[in-house]
Amino acid sequence: MQILYTDVLVIGGGLAGQRAAIGAKRRGHDVIVLSLVPAKRSHSAAAQGGMQASLGNCLGGTGDNEDVHFTDTVRGSDWGADQEVVRMFAHTAPKAIRELAAWGVPWNRVQRGDHQITVNGQKQTVTEPDNAHGLITSRNFGGTQKWRACYVSDGTGHAMLYTMSNQAIAAGIPVHERMEAIALIHDGERCCGAIVRNLMTGEILAYMAKATCIASGGFGRIYRVSTNAIINEGIGAAIALETGIASLGNMEAVQFHPTGIFPAGILVTEGCRGDGGLLLDGAEYRFMPDYEPEKTELASRDVVSRRMEEHIAAGHGAKTRFGDHLWLDIRLLGKEHINTKLREVKEICQYFLGVDPVNELIPVRPAQHYSMGGIRTNYRGESPQLKGLFSAGESACWDMHGFNRLGGNSVAETVVAGMIVGDSIADFCDSPDGALAISTSLVEEFGERERQRLAGIADSGGSENAFELMKLMQETMTANVGIFRDGERLQEAVSTLQDLQRRSRDIGLRSSAPGANPELVAAYRVQRMLKLAQCVAFGALQRTESRGAHFRADFPQRNDRDWMRRTLAIWPGEEADLPTLDYEELDIMRMEIPPGWRGYGAKDYIDHPDTPRRQQQLDEALQGMERADRHARQEALMPFRHLLPEHLRGNNQRLGED
Amino acid sequence: MSDIPVTQLGRTLHLQILRHNPRDPDSEPRLQTFEVEEADAMTLFIALSEIREKQDPSLQFDFVCRAGICGSCGMIINGRPGLACRTLTRDLPDHITLAPLPAFELIGDLSVDTGKWMRGMSEHLETWVHSQGLEQADIDSLEESMEPELAEQLYELERCIECGCCVAACGTAQMREDFSGAVGLNQITRFQLDPRDERSDADFYQLVGNDAGVFGCMTLLGCEDMCPKDLPLATQIAFLRRRMVAVR
Amino acid sequence: MDLLQSLTGLLLVMFIWGHMFFESSILLGKDAMLWVTRMFEGEHIFGKPYPLLVSAVVAVIFVLIALHAILALRKFPANYRQYHSFHRHMGAMRHTDTTLWYVQVITGFAMFFLAGTHLFVVLVQPDNIGPYASSDRVWTGRFWILYALLLVSVHLHAGIGIYRLAMKWWPLKAETAPRVRERLKVAMWCVIGFFLILGSASLLTYMKIGYDHADRAGERYVPAAASAIETGK
Repeated sequence: MQILYTDVLVIGGGLAGQRAAIGAKRRGHDVIVLSLVPAKRSHSAAAQGGMQASLGNCLGGTGDNEDVHFTDTVRGSDWGADQEVVRMFAHTAPKAIRELAAWGVPWNRVQRGDHQITVNGQKQTVTEPDNAHGLITSRNFGGTQKWRACYVSDGTGHAMLYTMSNQAIAAGIPVHERMEAIALIHDGERCCGAIVRNLMTGEILAYMAKATCIASGGFGRIYRVSTNAIINEGIGAAIALETGIASLGNMEAVQFHPTGIFPAGILVTEGCRGDGGLLLDGAEYRFMPDYEPEKTELASRDVVSRRMEEHIAAGHGAKTRFGDHLWLDIRLLGKEHINTKLREVKEICQYFLGVDPVNELIPVRPAQHYSMGGIRTNYRGESPQLKGLFSAGESACWDMHGFNRLGGNSVAETVVAGMIVGDSIADFCDSPDGALAISTSLVEEFGERERQRLAGIADSGGSENAFELMKLMQETMTANVGIFRDGERLQEAVSTLQDLQRRSRDIGLRSSAPGANPELVAAYRVQRMLKLAQCVAFGALQRTESRGAHFRADFPQRNDRDWMRRTLAIWPGEEADLPTLDYEELDIMRMEIPPGWRGYGAKDYIDHPDTPRRQQQLDEALQGMERADRHARQEALMPFRHLLPEHLRGNNQRLGED
Repeated sequence: MSDIPVTQLGRTLHLQILRHNPRDPDSEPRLQTFEVEEADAMTLFIALSEIREKQDPSLQFDFVCRAGICGSCGMIINGRPGLACRTLTRDLPDHITLAPLPAFELIGDLSVDTGKWMRGMSEHLETWVHSQGLEQADIDSLEESMEPELAEQLYELERCIECGCCVAACGTAQMREDFSGAVGLNQITRFQLDPRDERSDADFYQLVGNDAGVFGCMTLLGCEDMCPKDLPLATQIAFLRRRMVAVR
Repeated sequence: MDLLQSLTGLLLVMFIWGHMFFESSILLGKDAMLWVTRMFEGEHIFGKPYPLLVSAVVAVIFVLIALHAILALRKFPANYRQYHSFHRHMGAMRHTDTTLWYVQVITGFAMFFLAGTHLFVVLVQPDNIGPYASSDRVWTGRFWILYALLLVSVHLHAGIGIYRLAMKWWPLKAETAPRVRERLKVAMWCVIGFFLILGSASLLTYMKIGYDHADRAGERYVPAAASAIETGK
């Protein structure tokens, strides 16, 4: 078996992985990036509408700053997020945007003078001031108080990923394409690389590294209807789980995006609604204001998706032979706007639906979209259980999203986490802990184990079909672990998944073609995906409350008293058919914003006794600080800057702010 | 009722696929025909996945986003390059011939290594913003301002998804392996237009002022006609050609 | 080099189109043709025809063609493998502009011989141009076969070439480019059609004159006015 050595191994070539790689490389460490596909084809490219960062340049963003962004994100998370991490994030996001601007991303800019905008179905004229002309502009998104989503038409992720990849190429960072990490190498305490399968030749090789960073994205493909790319199968998270040491956090927190086109599930951006688009029902009636008078179409995604499904369940959907759906109406935005700011949306409608959104309605229904959960890390992006293992982006549970992520915060997280975790990795490699003291015989042992596993599948002569099991898993997840959950259906899902997992040990292959062998790929992936699916289903079954995107019809209230905690899933062993769940307390006494109403969605929740105590503490801390600036006031509540790499601690300059 | 695309009912599609596995010493290139019952709103992505799942699990092809965004699934569809994921079968005749994109290294069946080609192109043409002191960029202060119109123009050129259709559609690229293709030339015009890139026309001339670059283009216009993103490739190449001639 | 190829191409096209008009003067009568011939031989300037002038022009054109051909050869398939991949590509794509280039390759290659012969003849016999001299060459000399082929080749090549030149160099706006291109293409076909008709008509006329004159082949044409004087003697 060939063994390659490097300082840093990054698994995943999307925005998070490449930014972390650039960060480590700049600090003088050798980096290799592994990617399932050419890096520029990563799913980051599919982010359409925008990246949240509180620049506050355009009129709709006036008055925006880190504090507002922080508040929106914490509320969006339904208080499930790690507030220190959210602070780090909100503080670094403007820097990330500006760095990318310098690197070449053609962010849309503020144009001075009059503009027509669409608010609540009405046309309005706003006038952008001269001094903002040419600065980065932003659009409205759900769950935010300000226009904060910086964008490049509706190809934001594409433009960011191309710029990032090009800078990585400039930095001379090798990307080993079509390489799949299938196991982490570790000695029980320390991760030191990965066993990797070449997806062109089928060859097995090992990469040894001081630090390993998993940035492999989400696991949406455990669902049947998902906006995710078909490579988003969560294998990165699964190999961390399979160590039996690293834990996955909040796996039951799965986001459903309100506007997947129906029935294909392809995403159309939240920017459609941010720019003034409306949701209509089968009778072409605008129903959202009835449910959410405050934020209407622009409540957070979990709330809007739930309201949509509720409305469909009440019989108001448009009926088709494929099932019911609702309509997204962007006709009122006008041809000019659609042709410049929503071009990908237009193309998607044209090619997949044969619909021209300038004149016609778009059929939509919520579809699985994002995994808030993932490899649990501390604020530095390192696994608390397995030294030398880092994670960034959607594959991580860094935990800035808690139980619901705001639109535009994920693409922002990828870059921000990449910046921060890239530095942590470099720090780690520079420290005495970074030294590798693991023998190659351990590496050979892991390699041999994986080879045996693959040979076991290839030669088993088993009767089960990998594609068939995959389909059954996806059906189960979409049917029983979707937007509305209850104990009975979750229990059914858990049992079905246990059964499927048992069956997956008996997968046989029909094809023995040399090379990648797509059937073998499906087989070893479905075995791992079933474990992830079980973490989601079992975690959801155990969490007897509703929080963010996790909604239990049998426990419809958010329960801060019993559930201010993060689920941690560990896979106890190859023979196990359920994860071991552990819980990590979220300490209200350390929060800058104690739990409360989000400003949209349900208003009743069960309070935690700490909440009023913490509120009182915070009020006291602010006494006598009325004259202090907002940074000092914030510092008094929950200091966070010391957690950031030094070069990211400075204040962000803004128009109209010193 | 909804206007979701519905096909003629009960059509059987005959997909003739060019099969070859270069990893297998016994494999010879051959055409293999599969029959698939057409379903509603069926795309080639769905049809091919069905073939792999139900008929031949060894069939190789590449899809990632399946939404026409990532550029993975370029292939030759009835003679012409296109993105398979957003090609609806209802727009095709009963007999469909699929072949891998030419000019790229074959991985197997319909899967080709566009990634390696594109990375090579990027390294060769240095398709990134060249600017002094990028690492020390001040990211705390207000960003440099840019005319809104310029930003939009840049995005217009940056919409390229490196799918390889323009290379496969290019007669020149069929004959010359070292030709940068419309994908490369377009990216050069993108950086030429970008004020953040400090390179001069003379620098760009070093990269594309030869027969492997802009002067190799024979203006066959296949690139522009086959570009899935409708990029103005012909005008961009013409622009670059004039600029590069002016350098001399 | 690309520019040079385009420029030589442009000059040649201009020349050939001019050539067509001058040569088609036969349609207006033998006298008109003779007048044009004499003009090129410099009679109207020097008072006396110098057929060597024609040779000079021919030499220049020959050089231009050679230059154009050498530059163009860079782009031709260099070996069978390249030729084969282009051919397969063209067959599969069924794409007009690609096929048109192939037409240019073929016609260009054909012209290498056809135009070569033609030029060589006028180069060594510059005085052998005139209503009867040319017609005899066309008919009695069996040159009409060559001219017919040359006519088709040269106009396809020139018309397509001019269209391609426009696409190569003309600064178009991206938004309007597709429309302009469509119109250019229509114009290209019209121009090709026009010159083919004009050329065929001229050639037929030469053939007819040559046929009528076949028994007296070699005899020079005497302008109508002059012969009238002669007859009047």
